[in-house]
Amino acid sequence: MSTKEFGSRWPDGWGVFVVEDDPRARGFFEAGVCGSPQLRLMGSASGMREAIAWLRGTREAPDVLLVDLGLPDGSGLDVIRAAVARFPGCDPLVVSVFGDEENVLSSIEAGAVGYIHKDAAPEDIAQTIVDMKGGASPISPMIARRVLEKYRSLHAAGAPGPSPEEAAANARMRASPGTRALLSTREHEVLTLIARGFSYAEIARLKNLSVHTVQTHIKNLYGKLAVHSKNEAVFEATRLGLLSHPH
Amino acid sequence: MLLGALALVAAPALADTVDEAPWLTLRSGTVTATVDGTTRSGPASLSYHWDRVHAGQPGSARFDLPFVLAKAPDEPWGIYIPRAGSALDVRLNGSLLQVFGDLSQGGGADYAKAPIYVPVPAHLLNMGSNDLVIHLRADSGRRAGLSPVTIGPASQVRSRLYEPSFAWRFTGSVLLTAFSVVVGMIAFALWLTQVDAGVAGGRRREDLYLWAALAEFCWALRVADGAVRQPPLPWVEWGVLMTGCYSGWACAVVMFCQHLAGWHKLPSTRWVGRIALPIAATSMVVCYFALARSRPEWLTGWLGLELAAVIAYLCFFVAATVRRPNLARVLVASVAMLTAATAVRDWTVIRVSDAYGETTWVRYTATLFGLALLGIVVSRFRDASARARDLLQTLAARVADREQELALAYGRLEQNAREQGRTQERERILRDMHDGVGLHISAAIRQLQSGQGSNAEVLRTLRDSLDQLKLSIDSIHLPAGDVGALLAGMRYRMSPRFVASGIALEWAVDDMQPVPGLDGPAMRQFQFLLFEAISNVLQHAQASVLRFEAAMVEGSVLRVSVIDNGVGFDAGRVAPRALNERARAAGARLAVESRPGRTVVRIEFGG
Repeated sequence: MSTKEFGSRWPDGWGVFVVEDDPRARGFFEAGVCGSPQLRLMGSASGMREAIAWLRGTREAPDVLLVDLGLPDGSGLDVIRAAVARFPGCDPLVVSVFGDEENVLSSIEAGAVGYIHKDAAPEDIAQTIVDMKGGASPISPMIARRVLEKYRSLHAAGAPGPSPEEAAANARMRASPGTRALLSTREHEVLTLIARGFSYAEIARLKNLSVHTVQTHIKNLYGKLAVHSKNEAVFEATRLGLLSHPH
Repeated sequence: MLLGALALVAAPALADTVDEAPWLTLRSGTVTATVDGTTRSGPASLSYHWDRVHAGQPGSARFDLPFVLAKAPDEPWGIYIPRAGSALDVRLNGSLLQVFGDLSQGGGADYAKAPIYVPVPAHLLNMGSNDLVIHLRADSGRRAGLSPVTIGPASQVRSRLYEPSFAWRFTGSVLLTAFSVVVGMIAFALWLTQVDAGVAGGRRREDLYLWAALAEFCWALRVADGAVRQPPLPWVEWGVLMTGCYSGWACAVVMFCQHLAGWHKLPSTRWVGRIALPIAATSMVVCYFALARSRPEWLTGWLGLELAAVIAYLCFFVAATVRRPNLARVLVASVAMLTAATAVRDWTVIRVSDAYGETTWVRYTATLFGLALLGIVVSRFRDASARARDLLQTLAARVADREQELALAYGRLEQNAREQGRTQERERILRDMHDGVGLHISAAIRQLQSGQGSNAEVLRTLRDSLDQLKLSIDSIHLPAGDVGALLAGMRYRMSPRFVASGIALEWAVDDMQPVPGLDGPAMRQFQFLLFEAISNVLQHAQASVLRFEAAMVEGSVLRVSVIDNGVGFDAGRVAPRALNERARAAGARLAVESRPGRTVVRIEFGG
């Protein structure tokens, strides 16, 4: 998470690094970033290797990573992971044509905190980045539904199962760190309303919250999903013997 | 083995013929017999076959058998009588040596079944004349009488004459009985346990085993009689039972042959089975009258007839065996003929001739028959087991084949289902492309080609196209019937438009359960329908507020309303054709009300 105060303008603007293989789209995003006084283009890359090399070499931490998933030499998810690993304060945003559930969810689990539609207007792109740095995180009802489904399956797996296989699976799930702490009650309520199509403002009104609080819940949720995903991966790797226990 | 054991115990008797006998055999004397109140005396020549001499009438007799000794012996002597009965006592020189049975009452114990040995103290024997007296009581038809009497040194008489004879007759009877019981029990156990449950009309047992068991049980009882001096029933009843056993054995053997040959199923030979049991029963009736009326010759005659009938049947069986031989038939035919021959001999010697001391031979040859039965029963059982094993293996192979066929069929079915699924998915995507993005892109092309569309109009058409595409992608993950998710996704996808048009949104969507009957294609048409309705509002209504309502009404009717406060239109004149088509395709009912300030598009599904 960024150490800068949310919403405050950095003297030179939020540093943005763009990863996009299509030159026209890349130019479009660069123009969108440059057109905003609150943003500063730190550079751009057209492929995964180039982006990771830049992330390894840069001395200045980027505030925002704008990354396309379908890169010619690899997945944008690897770029997101590399960025988050080196710069925990960096907020990756995924560029998605469709904002479809599969891609967005896997991006969130890799560490992304939001996504931008490729067909968005240039000013919308800049606004989305600034809003995101201000604490907003977009989440679609489809993704909210998927997260709820996942939560429900983990919750059900936590309950005692009738068969030994299920019991073993449940034990595994219970042992998996982060499962129990995935969603707070409030987060669950917010997510349910999002899945039913309510806007942040409507949710804030219904639940007597501020819009900012609702956004914070969502952003926290993004972080938890990434942590949960990471822990789950570590847990699975340990279980499979890929990682050794610390002595 | 059994016969071998008997031969061993009998071996000393054979040696007797070689050495000079150290004993006296008394074959003549005088007899004083009383039959029916009449007493007559006369010379007696042993053997004395009572039934032959007195025509089967019961009675009593005194035998005086004098003998002379050159010197009085100084060691104990013994008397050996191969056969004497029914009851008797033995006296020597006026001293009673031993009593066997009740001399005053007939029909009780029968001592003629086994050889008799009477020890004689040396001091009772005199140098010179001695007088051996035997009192006898005879039952009718019971082989009563007196065989030649042997007297001599106890050690010689007992070990060389009495014991071998006793072994043949008494011990032999016990062993043969035991053997028959064992064979019978094996056959009976097989009959009880080997049940063919697959036969239509219930469970069926293999009757061949039952007849083998019955034959052996009858024979066991019949042979056991040789060791039973004191039968549990009075003589007439016991005699009837023994005759029943003998005839029952013969009938059961015949029935066994019937089943072995498979004749019990043939209509032309089934009558044998029907008369077999009545013949056995008749034997018992005849026996009863023969013994009760003291006319043993009646029984002899009937048994002769029965024997002739059995032999006739066996000849028939042998002839059939010669025509169609197999191991079991040849074995049974051979043993049966041997047994029949010995039965004829026994009938002649025991029941017709005057020979008294003789014993039956059939008891030994019948053992061969028992062995043959055992062999056949065991081999049939082994064959049946082998057939069952083969059947099981064949069955297992067939089941495996079937399973393989099923797996292949299932695989094909699964592949077909997958292909069908793919085809359906392809069709759905094509339909989506055609109805959604394709329609909008072709409209944009027309707008550009005609030069009539403004940039804004073309842009809107292209945006519609992309939105349609996004909705298509969303619809892939939409669960069937989840209208809540469909509406939420729709709002999310359309929200940039709402923002751009400055229209305020009111969201009154209930939390709803999945709607039954709203499957994937219907959901997609529902999506198109809503998109159309929203597009109409955004393009034409000039509304400031757009309200969505969705709820389940009247239990199972889904009602979705899109309400705007725009300028409205004449719903009767301007027919919302596209909306109607979409509603029809989705299987929904559409109602449109419009007036300035309020237009309601109401869609209902189900109910």
